[in-house]
Amino acid sequence: MKPPAIELRRLTRRLPSGGRDLTILDGIDLTIDAGEFVAVLGPSGSGKSTLLALMAGLDRPTEGEVLLDGEPIQALSEDALALIRRRKIGFVFQSFQLLGNLTARENILLPLELNGRKDAGARADRLLEMVELSDRGHHYPSQLSGGEQQRVALARAFGPEPSILLADEPTGNLDSNTGKLVLERLAELRREHGTTMVLVTHDEQVGALAGRQIRLRDGRLDRDAAREEVLT
Amino acid sequence: MNGSLYLRYLTRELRGSAGRLVFFVLCLAVGVAAVIAVAGLSDGMERGLRSKARELLAADLAVESRRPLPAELDGILADLGPATERVDLKEFVSVVAADGGSQPGKSRLAELKVVAPPYPFYGELELEPAGVLHDLLDARSVVVAQGMLEPMGLAIGDALRVGGESFVIAGAVLSEPDKVNISFTSVAPRVFLSQAGVDRTGLEATGSRIKYRALVRLPGTDADGVRAAARQVRLQLPDVEYMKVETYAEAQPGLRRGLERAERFLSLVALLSLLVGGLGVGQTVRAWLQSRMDSIAILKCLGLRPREILALYLGQTVLLGLAGSVIGAVVAVGLQSLAPAFLTRVFPTYVIEVWQPFAILRGVLLGVGVALLFSLPPLLTVRRVPPAFVFRRDAAPLPVSPALRYGVGGVLLAGLFVTALLQSGSWLLAAQFTGGLLASGVVLALGAWLTARLVAGAPRSFSKVWLRHGLAALARPGAGTLGAIVALGLGVVVVLTMYLIETRLGGQLNADLPDDAPTAFMVDIQPSQWDGVEGLLNDNGALDITSVPMVNSRLVSVDGVGVESLVEQIPKDEPRNRWVLTREQRLTYQADLPESNEILRGKWFSDESLPEVSVEREFAEDMGADVGSVLVFDVQGVPITLHVTSIREVDWESFAVNFFLLVEPGVLEEAPQFLVATARFPDGNEQKMQDVLAADFPNVTVIQVRQVLDRIVEVLGQAGLGVQLLGAFTVIAGILILGGVVSAGTIRRGREVALLKAIGMTRSGVVSVYTVEYGLIGLVAGAIGALGGTLLSWAILVYWMNVPWTWATPAPWVAVIGTVVLAVAAGIGASLRALGRRPVEVLREN
Ligand SMILES: Nc1ncnc2c1ncn2[C@@H]1O[C@H](COP(=O)(O)OP(=O)(O)O)[C@@H](O)[C@H]1O
Ligand SMILES: [Mg+2]
Repeated sequence: MKPPAIELRRLTRRLPSGGRDLTILDGIDLTIDAGEFVAVLGPSGSGKSTLLALMAGLDRPTEGEVLLDGEPIQALSEDALALIRRRKIGFVFQSFQLLGNLTARENILLPLELNGRKDAGARADRLLEMVELSDRGHHYPSQLSGGEQQRVALARAFGPEPSILLADEPTGNLDSNTGKLVLERLAELRREHGTTMVLVTHDEQVGALAGRQIRLRDGRLDRDAAREEVLT
Repeated sequence: MNGSLYLRYLTRELRGSAGRLVFFVLCLAVGVAAVIAVAGLSDGMERGLRSKARELLAADLAVESRRPLPAELDGILADLGPATERVDLKEFVSVVAADGGSQPGKSRLAELKVVAPPYPFYGELELEPAGVLHDLLDARSVVVAQGMLEPMGLAIGDALRVGGESFVIAGAVLSEPDKVNISFTSVAPRVFLSQAGVDRTGLEATGSRIKYRALVRLPGTDADGVRAAARQVRLQLPDVEYMKVETYAEAQPGLRRGLERAERFLSLVALLSLLVGGLGVGQTVRAWLQSRMDSIAILKCLGLRPREILALYLGQTVLLGLAGSVIGAVVAVGLQSLAPAFLTRVFPTYVIEVWQPFAILRGVLLGVGVALLFSLPPLLTVRRVPPAFVFRRDAAPLPVSPALRYGVGGVLLAGLFVTALLQSGSWLLAAQFTGGLLASGVVLALGAWLTARLVAGAPRSFSKVWLRHGLAALARPGAGTLGAIVALGLGVVVVLTMYLIETRLGGQLNADLPDDAPTAFMVDIQPSQWDGVEGLLNDNGALDITSVPMVNSRLVSVDGVGVESLVEQIPKDEPRNRWVLTREQRLTYQADLPESNEILRGKWFSDESLPEVSVEREFAEDMGADVGSVLVFDVQGVPITLHVTSIREVDWESFAVNFFLLVEPGVLEEAPQFLVATARFPDGNEQKMQDVLAADFPNVTVIQVRQVLDRIVEVLGQAGLGVQLLGAFTVIAGILILGGVVSAGTIRRGREVALLKAIGMTRSGVVSVYTVEYGLIGLVAGAIGALGGTLLSWAILVYWMNVPWTWATPAPWVAVIGTVVLAVAAGIGASLRALGRRPVEVLREN
């Protein structure tokens, strides 16, 4: 049987804060199958971004395990983690995070070239077309609007056809119309590539697009919180 | 990441940073220019000395003596080969005068050179009218340096009196291949004459300082052959230890030694300015990376490995380092081609080979190396950038293993040592240099740390909000205060040291003569001439006239050990010891201890039974003699044994005539001797007196103290030009660094200014905050730097250059105040843009 795309076991993240530890995530267990589309919902400060960062090896857990395609990653070196991200994971961020000194097209090209794809140029052009920015490829991020920047980010994330896509409030910095447009593109690209996707949002409407919803509160999954309430 | 991809991102990464990186390039260019200019020029001189060695000697081999050369020389030379040629020269200074008719003509000190064909064996004399020197010279003619004609109101064809006889000036010399003897008296202009000519003057009989020189040509002999010939001469020639046997193969060892010493010093100074530039580079890289934190985090998210990112930025550093170094090299080549014109007094500039590709290459490599070294610590932060930075700006930096951190420190130190070694060519100097830098850095870092600690506690207790905030800004974690203070402080050390040394050397020479110091020396006065000379001095308003007898002699043995074997034991790099033993010893005798002398050991002439001598301290040390030693002198053929009964300390700064060797009266009275007189001319009548003396006593040589000092100032001024230039270089580099240090904060600064304004602080309030922050940085760096610079220059002057130290200089205070002002100005300057903008613009940019 194929292992789950993402598996979290007793995942805990604590931060030292003014002498004592602050628990941000507390014993999270979660399994996400390949091809699944999961929304992580929860109020601001509940630990959603932290959870996403741990899934991608951008941060390291205090306790517990993160398995990608059945492989534990929490003990890998920075270099090894970078290679995993390069091959498997695409990102979309609330604040776009394009490289300011590269043009839109060059931003899209970068992960393709990193993966050594021969068709990098042609693929970048096709992706630009898919996000309806064919004529803006030579522009720098500062010359694009927020919605346009986020579409470039989408194209960049899907470029190397990652098996997992992590999106952190991709519409958080956009007005609702633009946000809708971006979400449509995102859903389209996901469907087309069959990507496993984790979408973080505090917006119930956005979360409803996903096949499964998970709720975080104070660093715990809501159903766990509920179970604990029953037990006590 | 493959090569072409790497290169593409290398250039793309440079796009956004061009403006900021100009600093980087400039900092480096300044230092590299200094390094290459020094190395290129000294290489050019050194090469020139070697490639033109024959011309500079005008022969393959030369033998020089203070006394007529032994007759045996001819036989020895004949044995070297049938084609060996010899020509003899004599050189000495004498006062020459224009023909004034019935009045005494205008006179001046000149350096006479008595020549015969086929001088010179190598090299060309450039003459006006063009032609062969010996065709112009006869018993009644001279050829003089072009430069002396106009000042004396003379022209070719006029008469010149030499030794009281009248000569016709048959031509002028424009350049002379073998005029390399750069001593202060040889700055006197040249007068060539023939043997027949000098015979008319009788100067040879009365001159006490004639150099006799045999030039030898060994046709078809290579360098080894010439060296072997020199060995032969040294073995066979009697009394050769008192003479100088030189070959072209050695290529002016004295001059090269001087050059090497100067090069060592200047190379290290140049390296300092390069290192100051390196500090600037380091600060710029730090600022640059700070503005790149976002990009680095994104690149990590996209799957670039930390080492690939590091390689990317290392690559940029190399590219920029190369750019800076090449610009520096271009500037250096420009400087180098101008330099010879400023060195005519200290070097035979015609030999300089300006184009020195090796020096350029080395300088460029050194520049890139220094750029890499100083970028290494800030580049480490690339590893520390957390990829989670894309989510939160305050994500904790990744840990860097202590091994790596200390490793980088070690690499930096080792790199500094290697560059110092490359520059100075001496392990000891390189170690001292690196140690000194390390110590200064540590003291500065300590000062910075202490300041931050003190300040961290203080802010809450101040009531003024700008004072509180300014101090807090300094102490905030990650403020970069430490780096700024260390960089700035080291800059101050370097600049101040250069300045103090330079002005002290210059100031010492320009110091006025003490009021009671003699202003003229008269040498070679024959005892029978004294009454006349004294009367003449009195007639011209001379005061404090003194005269002492002088007897020329050679030292034969010290405590029974012959000078010949003493000389053999002297290491090659101690030329002074050899000089002390083999010079023409000038003995004088007098009953009383001279005024500016003090007995250190022994007693002043007190033993009735022994012929005694009193020896100057340093001279005695170099000679290996002390109280109780027995010295044997050869006084023009007569051996005389003297017992050292006292060692004297002499105050050489007194400007009085002083002697290394003072002999008890009653020993030397009958020996051939001449008088040396001194006098003071309060009315400045030295020239007039010299003119009259040249007319009446043409064999007496006058040395005008003021003229000699002026010449020394001029000569050292030319040598000091390099130091001045380098000093200016370091100042420029220092200011650039400050710019770099301050620009390190501009991004954070902009946001801060906006915030402060947003919460209601006025612009003058914001300026006050920065004045406090930067003023304190400047104060700490300036104070420690000034202290360090003062100590360093004191050590260099007193221990290395033997120049007395004076505290009477405001420079350290100026340095402190200047650093504060500069720091505040640069800090506010960097914030100006942010100050002028509306807060909302800045905050929205985020
Ligand atoms: N590096 C950090 N330093 C301090 N607090 C942090 C850090 N990272 C996360 N936190 C805290 O952890 C909690 C969860 O943060 P985050 O994962 O960003 O929440 P969300 O994305 O759900 O808004 C917040 O209270 C936040 O302040
Ligand atoms: Mg978040």
